[in-house]
Formats: sequence, C-alpha cells, structure tokens
Amino acid sequence: MNRNGEGILARRSGGLALAVGLLAISSARAADRVDYARQVKPILTARCFACHGALKQESGLRVDTARAMLAGGEGGPAVVPGSAGESPLIDRVCGEGGDRMPPTSEGVGLAADQIAVLRAWIEQGARAPADETPEPDPRDHWAFRPPARPVVPPSPGGNPIDAFLAKRWVDQNLKPQPPAEKGIWLRRVTLDLIGVPPTDADRSAFEADRSPDACEKVVDRLLASPHHGERWGRHWLDVWRYSDWWGLGQELRNSQKHIWHWRDWVVESLNQDVGYDEMIRAMLAADEQTPNDLGRLRATGFLARPYFLFNRNTWLEEVVEHTGKAFLGLTLNCAKCHDHKYDPIGQPDYYRFRAFFEPYQLRTDVLPGSTDLDRDGLPRAFDGNPDAPTFLFIRGDERRPRKDRPIKPGLPALLAPEGITIEPVELPTEAASPGLRAFVVRDLLNEADARVKAARSAQSTALIRSAVASARSLVGSTQGPDLANVPAWILATRALESAESHRVSLRARADADRARAQNLPASALMARASKLARQAALAKAEEDLALAIFAAGKNESKKRDAARKAVEEARKRLDAPGDFYTPIAGARKSAESNVETAESKARRFPTTSTGRRSALARWIADRKNPLTARVAVNHVWMRHFGAPIVPTVADFGRKGTPPTHPELLDWLAVDFMEHGWSMKRLHRLIVTSDAYRRTSSARGADPATLAADPENRLYWRMNPTRMEAQVVRDSLLSLADSLDQTLGGPTVPTKDESSRRRSLYFFHSHNDYPKFLATFDDASVLECYRRSESIVPAQALALSNSKLALAMAGRIADQIARSKNPDFIRAAFERVLGEAPTSAERATCEQALAQWRVLLKARGLADPDQRAQVNLVQALLNHNDFVTIR
Amino acid sequence: MPYPGPAPSRRDFLGGLGTSFAGLALAAILHRDRVSLGAEAGWSPPDGKPHFPPKARSVIWLFMNGGVSHLETFDPKPELNRYAGKTIEATPYKSALDPKKLALSRVVVVNDANGQQRNTLFPTQVGFKKYGQSGIEVSDWLPRLGGCVDDLAVVRSIYTTDNNHGAQTQFHSGRHMLDGEFPNLGAWVHYGLGTLNDDLPQYVSIGHREYWNKSDGHYLGPEHDAVPIRVDPTSPLDYARPEGDLSTDEQRLGFSLVDRLDRLRGDSYPGDPALAARIKSYELAFRMQRSLPEALDFRGEPESTRGLYGLDDPASRPFGEQLLATRRLVERGVRFIQVQHGAGGAGVWDAHSGLRNNHAANCRKIDQPIAGLLIDLKRRGLLDETLVVFGTEFGRTPGSQGGDGRDHHIYGFTVWMAGGGLKRGVVHGATDEIGFHAVENRHYVTDIHATILHQLGLDSRRLELPGRKRLDIDHGQPIREILA
Repeated sequence: MNRNGEGILARRSGGLALAVGLLAISSARAADRVDYARQVKPILTARCFACHGALKQESGLRVDTARAMLAGGEGGPAVVPGSAGESPLIDRVCGEGGDRMPPTSEGVGLAADQIAVLRAWIEQGARAPADETPEPDPRDHWAFRPPARPVVPPSPGGNPIDAFLAKRWVDQNLKPQPPAEKGIWLRRVTLDLIGVPPTDADRSAFEADRSPDACEKVVDRLLASPHHGERWGRHWLDVWRYSDWWGLGQELRNSQKHIWHWRDWVVESLNQDVGYDEMIRAMLAADEQTPNDLGRLRATGFLARPYFLFNRNTWLEEVVEHTGKAFLGLTLNCAKCHDHKYDPIGQPDYYRFRAFFEPYQLRTDVLPGSTDLDRDGLPRAFDGNPDAPTFLFIRGDERRPRKDRPIKPGLPALLAPEGITIEPVELPTEAASPGLRAFVVRDLLNEADARVKAARSAQSTALIRSAVASARSLVGSTQGPDLANVPAWILATRALESAESHRVSLRARADADRARAQNLPASALMARASKLARQAALAKAEEDLALAIFAAGKNESKKRDAARKAVEEARKRLDAPGDFYTPIAGARKSAESNVETAESKARRFPTTSTGRRSALARWIADRKNPLTARVAVNHVWMRHFGAPIVPTVADFGRKGTPPTHPELLDWLAVDFMEHGWSMKRLHRLIVTSDAYRRTSSARGADPATLAADPENRLYWRMNPTRMEAQVVRDSLLSLADSLDQTLGGPTVPTKDESSRRRSLYFFHSHNDYPKFLATFDDASVLECYRRSESIVPAQALALSNSKLALAMAGRIADQIARSKNPDFIRAAFERVLGEAPTSAERATCEQALAQWRVLLKARGLADPDQRAQVNLVQALLNHNDFVTIR
Repeated sequence: MPYPGPAPSRRDFLGGLGTSFAGLALAAILHRDRVSLGAEAGWSPPDGKPHFPPKARSVIWLFMNGGVSHLETFDPKPELNRYAGKTIEATPYKSALDPKKLALSRVVVVNDANGQQRNTLFPTQVGFKKYGQSGIEVSDWLPRLGGCVDDLAVVRSIYTTDNNHGAQTQFHSGRHMLDGEFPNLGAWVHYGLGTLNDDLPQYVSIGHREYWNKSDGHYLGPEHDAVPIRVDPTSPLDYARPEGDLSTDEQRLGFSLVDRLDRLRGDSYPGDPALAARIKSYELAFRMQRSLPEALDFRGEPESTRGLYGLDDPASRPFGEQLLATRRLVERGVRFIQVQHGAGGAGVWDAHSGLRNNHAANCRKIDQPIAGLLIDLKRRGLLDETLVVFGTEFGRTPGSQGGDGRDHHIYGFTVWMAGGGLKRGVVHGATDEIGFHAVENRHYVTDIHATILHQLGLDSRRLELPGRKRLDIDHGQPIREILA
C-alpha cells in the first residue's frame, strides 16, 4: 500500500512540495548508494530510450549515458548533479498531463519507487562509470549488416559446424560428449528427416554397413525420400501458418477452401529441393512471375491464408506481421500504431510495407478435371485493385486514415538503402481471363456432353416405359391408355432440350470469348452467343417449370407460379435488344472482405499487375538482404538441434536475443545462399556433423563442463526433443507398418480418426483439428514459429487409452511374434525405442510379462502370452523415449 | 507392485521438481524459450505462489452465451415502460445517441443485420421485485436467484466494444476480436497459480463453446488451455479410459512398468528434466483417471441436494448437473471452472426476436441451478473462498428489434459476482434511465478480470511475458468498491 500511497502523492503534487514529500519518504533508501548500472539504467532503458537514445533523439536529448543527460538537449541539461529539484528529468517524470514523461500515450508513468531511485541517484551526484558507452547505432545491429562468410577456425574434422562449435569449447574449456549409439543416431536422423522411425530393415542394413560413408548413405536415402518433404513441409507450414478454412457454420470467414494445394506445393518443392529464395518469390508473387503456371500458382496460398471475410485491415495486418516475422525476423507489426520502439522502423514504414499488398485480392481458379469450384479449385492471389490507396492510420486506428497523404510501397531505409524498383507486369490473356484456358472450355464441354448423353438415355428409358405401360393397359382394359408414365417422359424431354441448348450455348460463348481475346471481329459471334445463351436460359426455365408441375408435393402452386413467371421472363428476354452474354469465367473471386461492393464484385480481372509483390519478393530473396537467410537457417538449425542459434526466432531486431554463435550463423547463411539456397544441402551439412552425432546424455560428462554450461548452450552434447504431434501419431502407425504412404491430395476430415494417412493431411483449422494431435501441442494456426513442448497428463492418457495406440501396440506385437524372433523384448525395444534393452530393463520387462501372464491366466484368457506381449509393447509406446527424439 | 509409488531410493531423482501441475509444466518449459525467455534479464516464470495474500481460492465462471438482457434480469428501467414505443430522440434521454458516445463500438461485420442501433424503446418484458435485506431488484423470471441477492455484488455498469458475438472472446480475454487471440482469464490464473489438487486438472471447461470462444492459453501455451469435461462419469474427458479391451489391473501393471522403465532411463540420462516431468505426468494421469469419474459421480448426493440444483425439473436439469459437477470439482480443489450456458447459433440468449419467450425459458433453465450452487457453496463454507461470476458478452438494446426482440448492446450491461471476499448484497455502478449507457462507475470487461485476479492474490503485471507487452486496458483495475 505504501507504494500506492506514494504514487498518489506523486501524481497530485508537483514541483518543490513534491520533492520535499518524496525525499522524506525515500530518505531511508536515499541513504544507500544507488547503483547506476543496476538500478537507474534499466528504468531509462525500458521507458525512455525509444525516444531519447540511439533510435531517436526527441528534443535533441539522449538519456542513454549519464554524460548525455548532463549535456542535455534543446532544453538544456536534463540532470543537475546533487539537485534533483533542479533537474528537468525529475520534473518531467513527475509531471502531469501533457508535461509528463513518458507521455500518457505511452501508458502509466514511472512508479514512485522508480522516481525515488532517479532522484536519489541525482542527489548523490549523478555518478556513472567513466567508460559508459552509449546505446549502439541501430545501423550496427548485427542482424542488419549483411553476413560475410567468416573464416572457419582450424579443426581436425571436415565440417565447419564442428569447427565453429569447437572453438567455443576451447575458449571456455568445455569437453564435449561422445557420439550416441549408432541406433540412436539412426532413429534421430530418420525422425528428423522423414518424420517416422527407421524400420527393422533400415536398422539391420545400417548395422551391417561398415563402410566409412554409411551415415552419408543413410542421409542421402532419407533426403531422397518423398516423406522428407512431408516432414519439413509441416515445419514450414507452422512458420507460414497453414490453416484450412474456418468460419461460423458453413460460412467461410478465414483462410480459403482447397488451400491444401499450397501444402502440396510446399511438400513437392522441398522434395525437389527448390531454392528457398525461389520459394519465397513464388509464395509472394507467382501470379506475376508465372501467371499461367497453375502448379506454381499454388504457392500463393501463403497469401490466401490470412483471408478474413469481415475486415480488410485485419487481413492485411496479418500479412504484414507474418511476412515480416516469417521471412525477415522483423516485428513490423510493432510499428502499426507508433514508430517501432527498438528497430529503425517508423510508423510510415509499416504502411509502406502494407502498400505492397494493398492491391491484392483472392480468387479460386478452375483446375483441370473439375468444373465445380465448391469441390475443387485453386485459391490464389492476384492484384484485383491496382489503384487501391494505402493510408497511414493515426495511432493505428482504422477509423482515422490520413487521406491527404497516400502512401507508396517502400522499405525501411536502413534495410534497403538502394530503395526498390517496381515495374508493372502485363499479364497473358488467359491469366486475366481464365475462362480462356483450353482445359476450362474442354472440361465444360465434356460435362455438357455427358449431360446430354445422360438426358438422352433417360428420355429413351421414359419413352419405353411409357409405351410399354400404355400397351399393357390397352390390352388389359377397356378404359383409355395409362398415362402415368407420361410425366417422366415429358420431364426427360425437357431436360434433354435444356442440356442440348446449354451445350450449344457453351460452344458459342467459347467461340465469342476466343474471338474477343484474339481481337478478331467478334460482333457476330457475340450476338450468336447472346442469343443462344438466352435460348438456353429459356430451356432451363421450361425444364424447371416441368419439374414444378409434376412435382408430387402439395402446396406447390407457389413454386409453379414462380416457374411459370420465370419462363415468361426468359421468353421476353429472348427478343430483347443487345448482345450481352456472360463470358466463361474460369475463376471465382473471393469477396473483398468488408470492402466488397457491387462494383468490385462485377469488375473484371485486371490485365496488368502492379509488380509490387514481385519487387518485394526479389528484395526479400536477394543475397544482399541481411535477414532472410539468417532467419531461415536458424529455423532449420532449431528443428535439428532442439535449440535455435537466435532464441527469438521471429525477432532478429534489437529487442531480440543475439545469436549464441554469430559466426556459425553467418557462415551457414552465406553458404546457404551461395549454394542456391538449397535446403537439402543445409540438412546434409547439419546431420552429418559430429555435433549432430553426439549423445544427448550428460552421463559421465566433465563436471567442469556441466557446471559451466548446464543448459548446453554451447552444444557439448545433443539436445533431446519431444516429437511434434504429427510425428507421434505417424510413428505409431509407421511402427505397426500401417501408415498409408499416399502423398498429397484433399484434406482428411478430422472425424475420420481411423484414417491411416500421415497427420499432415488432416483438416487443420483454428476451430477444427484432430484432438489426438492437439494433445501434443499441435501448431497454432494463428502463429507458430516454434512449437510448445509441454508434458502434461493428457498426453499420457492419449498414449495409454486411445484406440490408435492400443491398436498399433497389438499390431506391432503381432508382427514381432510372427517374425519368429526368439527375443521378443529385444525386438520390441529396438523397434519402438531404436536400441536394445539394458539388462536391468530386460529384467524389469520379464517381471512384468510374468505378472501379466498370471493375471491373464487367472482370467482364463486363451493366449495370455500373446496378450502380455501386446501390453509390453503398449508400455514401450508410453516410454519417455518413444516420444523423445534422443 | 501397486502403481503409483516410486521406489524410495528413486525419490531424489524427482527432487526439486515440485508436485504441482504448474510445477510440472514449468519443469517442462524451463529449458525452452518459446517466447524470448531469457531475453530479458531478471525475468522468471511464475513460481505458482500468489503475489499477495489471496481472499479467494477458486473461481466459478458462469458465462451465458448469446447476450443476456440486463433490462429483463438485473437492471430494471421503469422509464422504458413510460416511453415504450417512442423513439429515443423523442424522450428526454436523447443524449444517449450522442455520436461520441456511440463511437465506442468497433464493428467487425459491416452492415450486419444484427448489432445495429435500435431506437424505438421496447418496454420491459417482465416485472421486478425487491429481494432480501439489501432490497436489490431482480426480475420475476429469476425468483430463486432473487432469494440469493444478499450474497451478490451486482455491477450494472459494464461495457464492451464488439457489437457482435466476438464479444464472447472479448469478455474472456479482454481483447477485441480484431486484435487477434489472447490468453483468457482462466489461462492467466492457471499460469500464475499452483495446483490445489494433484489429481485433478486445475482449469476445467464445461459446456459448449461457440465459434468465437474456442480456446484459452494462446501465447501462454496449450498447457494452459482449459481441460474440457463432460458431466459423464463414464467418459469425463477424451481418452479418460482405454478405448479397447484392457482391464484396470492390466493397465495398472502397464503404468507401473512404464514408471520403472522411465526411472531406469534416469541412469542413462541423469538430470534430464523432461524425463522427470514425464514420470510425474504419468502418475498424475493415472490418478486423474480415477479421481475425475469419482468427482462426477452424483450417486452419493442426497435427494435434497439434487433438488437444490433443479435436477428434478427437465428444464433446469442439464445446467443443474453441470453446476453440481462444478461444486464437486471446486470442493476437490479445482482452481478455475468455466461453465458455458446455451449452445446453438450465437448462443441461446441471443433474443433478436421473441425476447419474452426466449428469456423466460432460459431463465428457468438457470435460475434454480445457480441459486442452488450459491446456497450449496454457502452452507459448505465454500462461498468465502470461491468467487462466482455471472457474465455474458453484452446486454440487449433498450430499443426493440423486429417488434419483439432486442439487439446486441455493448454500452452498458450487468455482471454479478458473489463470494470470494467480495461485498455481499450490493449494487455498484448504473446505466442511464433507459439502460443505454453505463454512466456511473463505468467498467470495461477487464476490470472484472482485475477484480478476480486481485482476490486470488495475483498482479497481472507481474505475470507479463517478455516480448508480450500488455496494454493498460488489458490489465484493467480491480473494482475496489465491491471488495469486502
């Protein structure tokens, strides 16, 4: 309460009276010498540096050194040593309203005890270490300077990773741990590269291979496996926030339908080792670079993901934030309402970055083989509104745009000193008019043909039935012919007419579309298309009317009237002037969020794209960009070693944590870029290092090493990690040889719990996800630069009780038993944990098996041995080292 | 060998781990840095202890989905009847429509059919009576709850800013839907405080959660999500019992084997915190598997108690069962239970039309159960340490929608709290004469959070994570006037 009392006093008083009051209160504290570095500087760093430090110097004042405070700014010195009462610094932090520092817009003022510290420090003479250094220039921040390939320290091994790590051990006198058992390494590398454990055959082959390059062969095999793309695709989809669509009931509000095409593109690209730079360019701007390459257009699912039906600003905010974090490790989002507090990113920079994306919208293109966009299609980005302006929002408030100053696309000057060149892109005809794509017309015509064929056969069937029935009735009765089957025949006839009419009209529309696109004389063709389209509409209306008339239900008169009216109107339109017709669309635009209007809805797809996103993508994926490669190799490193080099994986700015191994990071980044941004090369480099081979155990470790670096920040041993959710489930299936190896395709519904597809293929949205995976910290679709690794009882329950775990235990036990391996316990250990049991473990298992047998025999079970073995395997699936990548 | 029960000689292996769920989660994440942990000197995760002496131990968070009309429950407005049928402009209270005041609203769905201004006043659809010594007025649809009014602290001046059902998430987390998703109150409590009972999850969710309000932990991590519980002792939660033919005896042997094997691994991997945490998690899982069904088994409850919760009335039975389960869980030391009432659409209370029938029916479903809960807690001496909250995403418009309904209303509505060291039988704050704006002692929804955290002995600012700066409005201010 004392603290609050002081606070109230500080706020209500002012000037000298306040100084006296506070001095009395804090006199006890003032008697102690204030430690500038430990007590004063942290306050100033947290609350004042952003505006009075290296980043900005409001009123010419810096407070990042005592010297600077004494020198002061435009208003003279900030601090008068020995006299807190005369020091403007104290006056301002105690100020009220507009006078207070930090300003009210920055939240609450300094706490009373903080002010007391400042005051006491000044009263004691405002002393500071003579060698105090000012806050470093943001331009010198390590991550904003392009990486240069550092010299690899001399070392006996061939892998630079080991050389860089070893240098630090030598410096700090640490002793690394020996390599892990071969089986452990094989399990580790297999899980890391393809997401399932090695099979018995993999293990025997590796054990038998005594050649010096046995490990390299394993790595080559794994990197060549199509499952490598599935494993690493899921990692990158975490970072890129993959999500299937979600919304309220059937209303799509977030993301897009069929976005799994993007997932398949990621998996395929990784399998083909497409360069990371090329992947970035494709995700941000494939529509401008390869407008007719539907395969590559899938990449723009990255831009389809942040779709939000209700608010275009929210949508674009997510694009800005996560483009910044994912590719650049920059927290651009912090500059939405005000200048960035730590990085040289002004508030206008935030909106300049947004402007790259301002024109883009989404549409779903027709894909070959499917004409129904509800069933399949390609969600993709395109510049729908090339002229859409970007405005800065005052204090980030979308209701307060600065309309007098439209903002052009651009980049923070410090990161892009050369600026950026944007050139508009002319799109090929089919990109702007996807209805012209040959397969679109072909598939529509095939479908129309099929409809005609079906209608014709339905008509003949109806005709025959009707003829047979009336013949029968004529023979057997004196009354008139039986007309019960006539309606079916009439309906079938109408359907056939409608189908034929549709087919003819479709052809005519396609002809007219083509002529117009090729700038040939088109007016006659357009008139024809128009006329046939209207005839087709009439035929369809007549078909509907027939249906309404012969519908069995009561109270159909309303429907009949409506159908009759529709026919009349269609007939009227037949002779209406004009040659308007609807071109074949070939794509459907997604509603432009809350900014959709009737006009924007009807607008045709532009034939020019702004080129903004291409320019941005080029800059991000440029070798000169200091951030991109560093951020990427850090992500890869973390997923192999269980710890990142830069702990703040999505913030490489000044607020982030510096790298534990800056030279190693830079070497990896440069090597990565110099070798075509090849992910597979990077993986190979990492997993063939001695560091990656090391045991994760600290047993027998050098005590001095253990004491100096208990958290293993310097990689003197390997880090064990917990399997990600997907790996847990896929491994259960794989160990039982029950994993469906099919690659790609539409998502598996979450209710299909017994599916054996890889977990990557499950539907996964904010509101709908597989519960088994959720138990093991599945990726949040909102943001997941790094998975959580919780250890909670729900995981124990899922592995102990789920149908999946129980069924797989049964199968594994059965397979081992059928293999006639005389040593069941060893075989089970090797299969599930990747290594043989110790003698103590074996004894424990034998004891448990015996106990189970007794129990099961007492229950009269036919085959207690077999059942006990299943239980043993089930226990091993619950072993800590099953879910752990050792 | 019965499980659990580690061999005494192995006890030291778990030394220092603590025995709590919170301790467990911490042990697991200590060596990690999901958020820039370690980036900030001096930061450390919570130790599970309150920051100052707490008044309350547990929280029961009752949430009515859809938006309860304050005007037909806890905030009587005779002037609505006087000016019924008139537009607000035509009454002395036309200043309610001051655009500056209305600017509070932050719209998600532009031009939605709902969430609009409704300016033709709609009379109160039910009568009110004064109850108890405090004489606080409660609507005739809630007579049982009226009988408990001397235990309530009724806050009639809450406001929010999302005029659509995104206000559900806003009520839980304090953030507007357009800001993204943030940890909710229960998650903060779970993050900040240690366990009251090792055998039960500490943050539990009962009842259906709508589209807007699906999860809890967000950046605190999924381990701080509420555990969804079904009031069904045979299947209280996912994977609560073997989904296959496995007897309890067999499984106990299995758990015991896993325990022994994991401990043996401790020799090969000394000091591995994850291994220690996993051993602990299996012990807890095994105990939870037994204790949860027991907690949800009402067979031992006397007939009188069942009646108290309205289990004899089909209308009130479903919610009554949930609240009886809630009491049993609180009694056994569950820290935070959120109970959602009213599934379907945007929530059953969403009375855009037919408000009279809607609210009369819904009140009947909750009146006896909530009153029963309060009485039961009180007679067991639990109300002193249990804080009960009655909330909803927003109130409903003083004006009519479609002639017989009320629309969403964010500018002023009622929330009440009871027990947990709060004043009893008081009203705090007020809306204007037509129940439009909160005018006296206005409180944003996070003031409720701050009040609850304060009673639990937590300072939300001390729970903040590095790299996750929260705004002043996220923290809110305790409503000091209702603290006992």
